[in-house]
Amino acid sequence: MAETLFYALALAAVGFSVGVISARSPMISVLSLLGAFVCLALVYLLAGFQFLAAAQVLVYAGAIMVLFLFVVMLLNLTDLAKVAEHPTRALGLPRVALAGASAGVLGVLALLASANVPSGSADPAMVAQGFDGLEPIAVALFSRYLLPFEAASLLLLATMVGVIVLAKRQRGAAASGPAKEAAAVAAASAAAEPQLEGAGAR
Amino acid sequence: MNVPHQHLLILAGALFGLGCLGFLLRRNAIIVLASVELMLNAANLAFITGSRIHSTAGRPSLEGPIFTLFVILIAAAEAAIGLALVIALYRLKQTAELDTSSELRG
Repeated sequence: MAETLFYALALAAVGFSVGVISARSPMISVLSLLGAFVCLALVYLLAGFQFLAAAQVLVYAGAIMVLFLFVVMLLNLTDLAKVAEHPTRALGLPRVALAGASAGVLGVLALLASANVPSGSADPAMVAQGFDGLEPIAVALFSRYLLPFEAASLLLLATMVGVIVLAKRQRGAAASGPAKEAAAVAAASAAAEPQLEGAGAR
Repeated sequence: MNVPHQHLLILAGALFGLGCLGFLLRRNAIIVLASVELMLNAANLAFITGSRIHSTAGRPSLEGPIFTLFVILIAAAEAAIGLALVIALYRLKQTAELDTSSELRG
């Protein structure tokens, strides 16, 4: 039962990912990304990672998706006539060759790496119990991984300052619409980050 | 869920490959950022599979979940900065097409 569900979710995740990279309008692309995130959260849940499934839904499908949708709607990129002014469809040969070469290199690396993966599956009892109990994770996060944890909070602070600097209106420039909108994005991202901090602290 | 480790890794590899293709082939800055998020998610799935492989009965391997948490955190920071850059680019060029920004080409 759970296995069938996993394969269905895996197919759906791959389908949504194809949607992300092949959609004409950024809006469809971002909504497909939301679908892929939700499918992956369910895969985490099936694989025995309940906390990470919750974090995935809260941070990815919640905070990050809101940022993406906010920017897509703000910039009105769904206007296809405007998109068509630029040669988005015509892909140059070098670009396709580069993409094909990287896909080939990735495939070879995956084949080489798969030789070292032990066959078989995880212990069913462990899956039922869950691999990411809150208590072990919290203890590890605040003892062995304390330094990365603090570095991460510094990174979030630097991000917040960076976004505010990027979004700030240029000195002397007239108060224009886009500047105010960018400041709103900065405020939205600042609101999203404490949520992540909270998820990490738990 | 009694799925072989390889199948989880194949899913992660497929998602990473699709994200890589989107990153290289698309020109819209927002879709490029979405492809990067897709690749980070594939990495998370690989970390989770690693945790499943290295866990023994009663002793879960915590490196996988903790690295996944940090990747989620980096992804949030990257999305915030990346989208602020898209807004700045749009203010400058009135478009989010990356090919219009080639001032640094030698």
